[in-house]
Amino acid sequence: MALNLRQKQTECITRMLNLNQPVNATGTANEEVYKILIYDKFCQNILSPLIHVKDLRKHGVTLYFLIDKDRKPVHDVPAVYFVQPSQANIQRIMADTSRSLYDSFHLNFSSSIPRPLLEDLASGTLSSDSIHRISKVHDQYLEFVTLEDGLFSLAQKSTYVQLNDPSAGDREIEEIVDRIVNGLFCILATLAVVPIIRCPRGGPAEMVASALDQRLRDHLLSKNNLFTEGGSFVSSFQRPILCIFDRNFELSVGIQHDFRYRPLVHDVLGLRLNRLSVQGEKGGMRSYELDSSDPFWVANGSLEFPEVAVEIETQLNKYKKDVDEVNRRTGGTDGAEFDETDLTGNTKHLMNAVNSLPELTERKQVIDKHTNIATVLLGEIKERLLDSYAKKENDMLVRGSIDRNELLGVLKGKGMKMDKLRFAIMYLISSESINQSEVESVEAALRESEVDTSAFQYVKKLKSLNASMASASSASRNNIVDWAEKIYAVTAGVKNLLSSDRQLALTRTVELLMEGKPNPEIDGCLVFDPRSPKSSSGSSHLRGPFKEAIVFMIGGGNYVEYGSLQEFAQLQQPVKHVIYGTTEILTGAEFVEQLAFLGHKMGLGSNVAASTHF
Amino acid sequence: MHVKSAQSTFRDRTQEFQSIAEQRKKSFSSGSVPNGSSSSSKSEEQRSVVAIQSEFNRRASKIGYGIHQTSQKLAKLAKLAKRTSVFDDPTKEIQELTGLIKQDITALNSAVVDLQLLSNSRNESGNISSDTTSHSTTVVDDLKNRLMSTTKEFKEVLTMRTENMKVHENRRQLFSSTASKDSTNPFVRQRPLAARSAASSSNAPPPPPWANGSPSSSQSFPRKQMDGESQPLLQHQQHHQQQQEQQLVPLQDSYMQSRAETLQNVESTIHELSSIFNQLATLVSQQGEIAIRIDENMDDTVANVEGAQGALLKYLNSISSNRWLMIKIFFVLIFFLMVFLFFVA
Repeated sequence: MALNLRQKQTECITRMLNLNQPVNATGTANEEVYKILIYDKFCQNILSPLIHVKDLRKHGVTLYFLIDKDRKPVHDVPAVYFVQPSQANIQRIMADTSRSLYDSFHLNFSSSIPRPLLEDLASGTLSSDSIHRISKVHDQYLEFVTLEDGLFSLAQKSTYVQLNDPSAGDREIEEIVDRIVNGLFCILATLAVVPIIRCPRGGPAEMVASALDQRLRDHLLSKNNLFTEGGSFVSSFQRPILCIFDRNFELSVGIQHDFRYRPLVHDVLGLRLNRLSVQGEKGGMRSYELDSSDPFWVANGSLEFPEVAVEIETQLNKYKKDVDEVNRRTGGTDGAEFDETDLTGNTKHLMNAVNSLPELTERKQVIDKHTNIATVLLGEIKERLLDSYAKKENDMLVRGSIDRNELLGVLKGKGMKMDKLRFAIMYLISSESINQSEVESVEAALRESEVDTSAFQYVKKLKSLNASMASASSASRNNIVDWAEKIYAVTAGVKNLLSSDRQLALTRTVELLMEGKPNPEIDGCLVFDPRSPKSSSGSSHLRGPFKEAIVFMIGGGNYVEYGSLQEFAQLQQPVKHVIYGTTEILTGAEFVEQLAFLGHKMGLGSNVAASTHF
Repeated sequence: MHVKSAQSTFRDRTQEFQSIAEQRKKSFSSGSVPNGSSSSSKSEEQRSVVAIQSEFNRRASKIGYGIHQTSQKLAKLAKLAKRTSVFDDPTKEIQELTGLIKQDITALNSAVVDLQLLSNSRNESGNISSDTTSHSTTVVDDLKNRLMSTTKEFKEVLTMRTENMKVHENRRQLFSSTASKDSTNPFVRQRPLAARSAASSSNAPPPPPWANGSPSSSQSFPRKQMDGESQPLLQHQQHHQQQQEQQLVPLQDSYMQSRAETLQNVESTIHELSSIFNQLATLVSQQGEIAIRIDENMDDTVANVEGAQGALLKYLNSISSNRWLMIKIFFVLIFFLMVFLFFVA
């Protein structure tokens, strides 16, 4: 069973649009009913990467509105609501029912609506005497955004800041953990699997894992649970593994400059919900969609940028050749034999040409789109010297050190402030030992360039804490980082000969966890199995090799991790499936801003104060 | 299995909701009586609106159902057309079915036009919200699209049927005796370039049932059959030395017939070209409705921005007006103070 999250979510939404009646093979319900769809902002983000207006029309949805918009009555038409279960939405729904905007209301909440809110809704609609209009209330368990087949996000902002905030109380942290657990529960419910949960010891990962385990256990005990498909035949070979990590496990991935196509487009051009706005060639903003229906994006998303440019060239040449061929077959070269026999032949060729027109047009559009994107990207790279940043950071991480002059040269040279800051933080993370004088000079260089160094200070503090923690106890989670770094530092030389990509610590850990063999690196990781009775521990039969994995990163992830995990999964024999998800997908700049905010909070700020609000 | 799994990923809370409602109703039962009269008057005026709306809805759902049935019949026709062989040719059935489907499509077409008229008249009569207008427009558009795609499918099925007939004719030519060959040869002899005649007599039975239909599409079918005859003709040209002196009168007739067929062939080519142009036209019109995303709501953004701007302007006004007021009061106070000081001091 391949875990295709996007397909499952689309199926659920299709079913919801058909008023939760079984959908037959052609994808439309048996009854043809025209309905109206109403959603809120969060659910709009869920729906827009998955469904286009064309698909909505196919399922009989004529109009679609935001719940906050001022809507007019459309009588005698059922309305499908897809909203989050919040007090404001309930108020809006009650207002709508009292005004009798629509004939019948089918309410679908993106996660389980708590009982008090349901009671509020009931009393509200009763008092306005419109309760007969509400025909159905459903919990859809769809509170997550799926961007690609194996990539999801919970769209919960600033979790890293909130979890690492020194002034956060227990209650706030619990709330955040609850929210994350809720999102993860929705994912598991949609996939209809009960995985084995593994996480490194300590930190938010452990809290989330144990809370999720508890929630799954409670749920499985109730009858009519959502996982009945799991059935009684449960073996380790069919259950996937859910690995939960915290951002502090590998901080560098969130900050570094990467030079592959997908991370570049996300980081530099701002890809949001698979949508991108760039400056068109003729001036004016063009908006593009980059998702799994774009063949070029799917095939070349993980290539380095220069290779992508070459690939575009190749595609363009192929397209030109095809167009020439079509022209030749129908066009003006052979006007010689134009009698009646060939009249038919010619018309046949013409018909073939017309039939192949849509396909050719589409190919041209895709090529044009990527040419435009690549051109804009190239401009940005040249201006910000991103290629040199990426290369130097890669060298730093592989070698563990950098020539001092080179470092200062980069910091004092030209480039954007944010890039310099990221480079400096990468230096800090990648260097094995903190050379105090070097750090001083780096800070001086940063201040010269008027860069806000609070993020830098924060990471410095974090690193010093980690160093002290590492020496204190041997069972800390940082051992994993140390082990992983040592391992690939040793094999770095070999790896450099074989491939130019460094494997991330995350990928390495996931690989080991999926293999399931006892390994000193991952012995620090905890195991939770919601299906097993509480007393049994160390059920060794569940540690077999796993074919499928769900990797979840608390605090913010990006396309670099996603790409690395997909690469790892493809290279395995047999091919494994890995789904990657995070609380939110952040660019490097956004993540550094969160670090800067934390730095300010801890009072480590510098002269240039940033006034960002989270 | 899949249906079962699909059903298990959501929970139906309707029962819970209704039980809560029941509980609350019992506690509210005393207070709900005075509300009854107001709600009834509201429902009176809504009823007329609802009546028109439901008329529209009923017709739309009837049309939708009709389209669904027609496409089912079309699927049956496609199956029939595919499975025909040379000797077992259910021409009559296919003919009946084709006639039925044609009637259905014409009826549905007029029904859709009526529906559009109804919705237009209702929109002009006022008292209808803008959302209802766009809803009804969208419904009519959707029905038109579906009807158009059904008609296209119908055309494709008929084209496929014609090609099958061509293939059958070829095979019939191969199997049939030399008698038919005799009748073709004189044509060939007389007009080697005519190249279109080929056993028109043997083709006589099939054209009439098709020609009786008389919509434009079916006229092209016998012509297309003739296209296929060019191949056997090339073979016949080799035997043209037989029986040249026969049948002068039929020669005349056959000459006329061959001319007619040539013309029909040209007509069929023109039909093909017209279908190509139709395709191009639909291509062009379909460009408009590609991949729009749900969140591409420019109006909302603009409205929000304008709203924000207005709010800011108002705030600015309030600030500045307050300031002016305060300054004025301040001046008056100072003035009085000075007057006071002057007269006292």
